[in-house]
Amino acid sequence: MIVLEQKKFQEIEKMTTGYNRLLVLGCETCAAMSFAGGQRQVAELASAIRVARKTTGEQGEVLEEAIARQCEPEFVDLIKDEVSGCDAVLSLACGAGVQMLAERFQDKVVLPGCNTTFLGVTEELGVWSERCAGCGNCILDKTAGLCPIARCSKQLLNGPCGGSMNGKCEISKDVDCVWQLIIDRLTRLNRLEMLEEIFPVKDWSPAGHGGPRKMVREDLKS
Amino acid sequence: MTKDELSTEIKYPPCKLACPILTDVREYIQLIAERRFEEALASIRNLNPLPRVCGRICTHPCEAACKRGQVDEPIAIPALKRFAADGPWKGRYKAIMPDKSTGQKVAVVGSGPAGLAAAHDLALLGHHVTIFEALPVLGGMLRVGVPAYRLPKNVVDEEIQAILDLGVEVKTGVRIGEEIKLTDLSEQGYKAVFVAIGAHKDRKLGIAGEDGFEGVVSAVSFLKAVNQGENPKVGKKVAVIGGGNTAVDSARCLLRMGAETVHMVYRRSRDEMPAAKEEIEEAIHEGVQVSYLTSPVEIFGEDGNVSALRCIKNELGEPDVSGRRIPKSVPGSEFTIDVDMVIAAIGQAPDSSFLDNELTERDKRIYVEDPYALMTTHPGVFAGGDAVTGPATVVEAISAGKRAGISIDLYLRGEPLPTTEQMEAVETAKLSPALIEKTRKFARCSKISLPAEARLKGFDEVDAVLSEDLATKEALRCLHCFLGARIDKEKCISCLTCVRVCPLGIPTTTKMGEIAIDPFACQACGMCVLECPVRAIDISLDPHSKIAREIEWAISRSQQVEPVIVGFFDLHGNFRSSDVESLRQDYPNILPVMVFGLRRVDTSDILKAFEFGADGVLLAGCPSDTDPFPETADRVKRRMAHARTMLEALGIDGARLEVCDMPDEGLVEKELIDGLIQRIKGPGQAR
Repeated sequence: MIVLEQKKFQEIEKMTTGYNRLLVLGCETCAAMSFAGGQRQVAELASAIRVARKTTGEQGEVLEEAIARQCEPEFVDLIKDEVSGCDAVLSLACGAGVQMLAERFQDKVVLPGCNTTFLGVTEELGVWSERCAGCGNCILDKTAGLCPIARCSKQLLNGPCGGSMNGKCEISKDVDCVWQLIIDRLTRLNRLEMLEEIFPVKDWSPAGHGGPRKMVREDLKS
Repeated sequence: MTKDELSTEIKYPPCKLACPILTDVREYIQLIAERRFEEALASIRNLNPLPRVCGRICTHPCEAACKRGQVDEPIAIPALKRFAADGPWKGRYKAIMPDKSTGQKVAVVGSGPAGLAAAHDLALLGHHVTIFEALPVLGGMLRVGVPAYRLPKNVVDEEIQAILDLGVEVKTGVRIGEEIKLTDLSEQGYKAVFVAIGAHKDRKLGIAGEDGFEGVVSAVSFLKAVNQGENPKVGKKVAVIGGGNTAVDSARCLLRMGAETVHMVYRRSRDEMPAAKEEIEEAIHEGVQVSYLTSPVEIFGEDGNVSALRCIKNELGEPDVSGRRIPKSVPGSEFTIDVDMVIAAIGQAPDSSFLDNELTERDKRIYVEDPYALMTTHPGVFAGGDAVTGPATVVEAISAGKRAGISIDLYLRGEPLPTTEQMEAVETAKLSPALIEKTRKFARCSKISLPAEARLKGFDEVDAVLSEDLATKEALRCLHCFLGARIDKEKCISCLTCVRVCPLGIPTTTKMGEIAIDPFACQACGMCVLECPVRAIDISLDPHSKIAREIEWAISRSQQVEPVIVGFFDLHGNFRSSDVESLRQDYPNILPVMVFGLRRVDTSDILKAFEFGADGVLLAGCPSDTDPFPETADRVKRRMAHARTMLEALGIDGARLEVCDMPDEGLVEKELIDGLIQRIKGPGQAR
């Protein structure tokens, strides 16, 4: 899933000031699962903005709405009436959702209520961690299912650096050294010899370094 | 539809499903838990005109079905019913009277529970009802059968009076079939008759000596004499033959009337004894001796009086049609007990001789075509209760009376009568051992009864009514069958939050993320309802929207005494309804919202309170020893910390949100409230 976090309230308050009729728009998939932008957080944030506006004396109505995914045009189009009636939309989706709104509602102010953080997993309720950097060229077959691109602070491909101490990364004792994990897991799998293969210099063009990415499936497109 | 399908479809809790009149037990128990006692009584009374009677002598099949019974002990339902029905609010119940009379006259023959229930329901449907009672007193077996130590006469009288107050007429001392024939009633303008004459005739023992001596008495006539204050002659050593409630009632009365030894003689073992378990226990506690697996053989006499009872021991053979094992006498096991009185209590039949040639009978019982419609072979004449079924329970009689009420009303309006719905008893679904293990146990309230010596001095009621404290505590043991979480599958995004937060591990998922919550197993803690990020779960026990509405309602009724504080109070605390009242008086600025646990209050609710104009919010959770889900307390505390962070971000002093535990007794410590008020009034606000 894409993991998001809601922006600090002060930042939200500042960016929404002046837009009297404000629509707080939730996104019911990744944002909801991140507890950043589902209906529950929409209600909480909308209420918070109203309370803050009461203190500042700012007028206007704060509306609440949510759709299944803001990254799909069909869902977005379902709320065009609500959107047309407000001064700005505060989107609680990831960056992709915010931009889809901006695309579909050309004349409307669209504001991001969340920061898009990473592609990751739920370790437990309320704890998420990064697992994938979306580099466009998966090497997990060679690294025992543990990604050094996403999880090594230096994105090293041929073993740990000298900063690996007691299985932890030198940047923080709370960060596992992924190379230690790779070595441990390969040892368990009895496949340590796999590390004898040297990774060549990584081609970062599928990772977006070759410009914005786009994918077209001729068999599917209209 | 079978009852099983019905139960899942309509989601009746097992207690309600087990009740012959489908009393909404769960509803009134919840109302007691919420300290809404008057409404609890109304919930019972709307369906049952004899709640104080049932609160004392109902055989409570609801209790046997109670889900809590699988965990520790079932909810003490009769005690709670009695609490609701007996409280000082009992006179305030007002039946909803019909707009106008139908002008139709209905005769009810017999004033026992069946007749009373029918009269009550028919009167509320606008019919003009007259009860004909052969005895000089009303109430049938409630008045002349059940002894006062179980059911005080004033209780019966008061409940009957409330029924008569609906405009029901009474003719006592009139035996239909003698002075007036059934057929005469139609000439007198009665368009329908309900025959509910009960079963007042004891079966004969059928043994030698039964008719030869003074001192062989039928249980019904004995109880009738006792209950009418006739002070019948009682022996010193008495044998009571039989194992039903009539036998136990006779035995316990005998002890109260001076019998030195009372010996019950029952042909099967204790397990098969038809009397209520508690009654047998009380009788033994009071000193009644019971000879199980024993049958009487012959009664001996001297000088015309009973002198001894010869008995034989039995052993149990194969089960009969009723499923009870047939007793077989053991040859050579005869023995004799010295007695000077023998009471026969081996079952009763209706005394329907006077109805000869008027109604068809089977085994002395009045025959009805359909046990739901209750019409006899005689059009317009209906029958029900013990007269049709043989001796049964008070709630079954009330059920018959209510069915008769429906049928007679349809009959009078010329509409087709209802037919029997196939309603077979359904066993309560079994809880998994893991769930039983995880469910917090709470001891059942113990009965408060007179000590045995004090009881035997007279006919004072043995059991006392529960106190408010005990009743609310007991009601809070309810596990809220079918009131718990329901998933809206259209909204669910399979995020697994419910699976992760449920303290009992009830939500399950498939590989494709389809979440299911067993509505019977769920105990309605409400945790998943709030944590669900897409609000796909709601709950019937205080839905989340209700809490939001209550906040708004509370604030709208605020008397503008500042600072306005919304107080969320956990119903599981040890407080009385008077504590809430005194809080309202002492602190009119605190607007109480009662909740089933602070789990049910979300950050957005706290923000809502401020949005609607509150100056502060107080959350008082129950002491941990009364919390049914203590494992959720930490999560709730962290949620409140998050709320406080939100408030601070909004520029509101986080100290305006007070989260505390209730004291061991009472609602909340005054110092705490004063402290909160002080903080709100004083400096420290960022804006």
